Amino acid sequence: MKLSERYNRVNLIATIVIMLITGAIYYLAISVILTNQIDKSLEVEEHEAFDYVKLNHRLPQVFESKDQQITFTPAEPNSVKREFINTGYYREKGASEAGRGLISSVTVNGRYYKLQIVESKVETEYLIQIIFGITIGVILLLLLVLLITNRLILSRLWQPFYSILGELKQFKVTDNSDIAPLNSPIDEFNDLHQEVTAMAERVKRDYKDLKTFTENASHELLTPIAVINSKLDTLIQTENFSPQQSKLLGDLYGAVSRLSRLNQSLLLLVKIENKLLTDQQTINLKELIEELLYQLEDIFSDKQITVSANFEDKEITASRYLIDILLNNLIINAVRHNHQGGGIIVNLTAEALVVKNTGESMPLDNERIFTRFHKSSSSEGSGLGLTISKQICESLGYQLGYSYEAAHHCFVVRF
Amino acid sequence: MKILIVEDEEGLRESIEEYFADAGNICETVATYQAALAKIQLYRYDCILLDITLPGGNGIDILKTLKAGGFPDGVLIISARNSLDDRLQGLDLGADDYLVKPFHLSELKARVSAIVRRKMFNGSNVLNFNELSIDLMAKTVTVHGVPVKFTRKELSLLIYFISNKGKVISKNAIAEHLWGDGMDMANNFDFIYSHIKNVRKKIMEAGGKDYIYAAYGMGYKFADQ
Repeated sequence: MKLSERYNRVNLIATIVIMLITGAIYYLAISVILTNQIDKSLEVEEHEAFDYVKLNHRLPQVFESKDQQITFTPAEPNSVKREFINTGYYREKGASEAGRGLISSVTVNGRYYKLQIVESKVETEYLIQIIFGITIGVILLLLLVLLITNRLILSRLWQPFYSILGELKQFKVTDNSDIAPLNSPIDEFNDLHQEVTAMAERVKRDYKDLKTFTENASHELLTPIAVINSKLDTLIQTENFSPQQSKLLGDLYGAVSRLSRLNQSLLLLVKIENKLLTDQQTINLKELIEELLYQLEDIFSDKQITVSANFEDKEITASRYLIDILLNNLIINAVRHNHQGGGIIVNLTAEALVVKNTGESMPLDNERIFTRFHKSSSSEGSGLGLTISKQICESLGYQLGYSYEAAHHCFVVRF
Repeated sequence: MKILIVEDEEGLRESIEEYFADAGNICETVATYQAALAKIQLYRYDCILLDITLPGGNGIDILKTLKAGGFPDGVLIISARNSLDDRLQGLDLGADDYLVKPFHLSELKARVSAIVRRKMFNGSNVLNFNELSIDLMAKTVTVHGVPVKFTRKELSLLIYFISNKGKVISKNAIAEHLWGDGMDMANNFDFIYSHIKNVRKKIMEAGGKDYIYAAYGMGYKFADQ
């Protein structure tokens, strides 16, 4: 629910409730006042009748006028209590209307009469209806105007808020763009904007520090790794190793080269994110992939993997270094996760590069395969290959996607 | 070969010196920017191994001094900074090659040998080892003067071996040389074996000697014993 919607709803309900209450009070007040008026005219009539009786010592002639009826009926002395009543008003035509009556008593020549004066309330009610109708109309009009102005004012008033929200939605910690400045006369929004800007800067600075740390740490690691590597190379020159010693040395070599690859991968990730690899050149993808497939020929034939390739000419402008890594990662993954006697299909069109391979007959988790250090337990890789590939694609404005189709794992790079 | 090693990391400097100090090679080492500058003013080298980050200055400045003085020394930059800018700047300034730490000593030796060869034989780049003769430009091999057909990888392997003759080369170093360091598959050692088998077979079938020895399952050695 939107804020303005919520606000309008509360506003509307409150207004309607208050209007209803005031309407009721209004109605009651008007009807009390008008009834009082009728009562007064009834009293005037009563006085007239008394005056007439006092003067003429007989009952006045009963006649009907101005929607008023007077009746005199003989009654037991002192049996009538003077009071106003709501009663019916019966016209001769037989129709009955609401009426107001006054019951009183008069003594003429020693005889006791009950005096009843009834006046039709039709006129009064009609008046009330008109007044009430006009009031309701005004209320409705007021509500409508309120609603419209609320909507207009609210959306205009909240405009800065939505612009800040939009900035936040677009905020990327890896981006260099800052939060756009805001011009608002409202203090709260200015405060909010200030805080958001400060927070964005803080987050970016922290992220940058973290990246610098990763880069520095990886750099610092390079030298000791280089020393270990060179010492191992020197050590094996001393010869005369027992089988056990050479096995140990082989394991050491494996671990060191793995460590150094991992380190390079981390450095590479930082560089891609920092956009440090910006050398651009025209690359013929078709030639590059053909060369790579040739390079990896032994590896394919060892696993008896059949490679079927279908290339269209495609030239791109990008960093050669990054494209090498991307292609290498995709194709080596296709080999690594393949089974003996499996197949790899490489398709290159003007729109996309598709690398498909057979392998485990289970789709991979699309969400997780591109995250850092996610790998299957049987994988010998660093767990960074696909993360790096994804980052490379993003930095070049391509899209890297995964799908599982007809027993093939498909990785698609869309240019 | 006369080689100057400019490297501030003692462990690395010693290993390189030891690996290069063979019969016929003279190695000098310096650890600081000033010492390196003093050396290049006084002596000429076939190849200078130059670290970029040095105490007291930047290796790139030493390269600039060399080129400004018109000295013909070959320069191979060894750096922990695998930054493309450094690489491009180094090569633009006239460095002959660029190697990123960590590296295998055999790879370093092969690169240095290639630089020295290029400096020594202008153009006609032929590598000889006993009855083997490799034309590096035409990429052809002859054994006792008879051409033998080698694949690209086999040729690359043979050159690598000859550059590191008498040294034990680990399988890891060979794998990285042939497939690049993107390859990290446990079974790529089998491919090395099949390539080595082919190289050995081709040389012997053409009447050459068997120079390749397996070294304790860790690596191989190319030697004339």
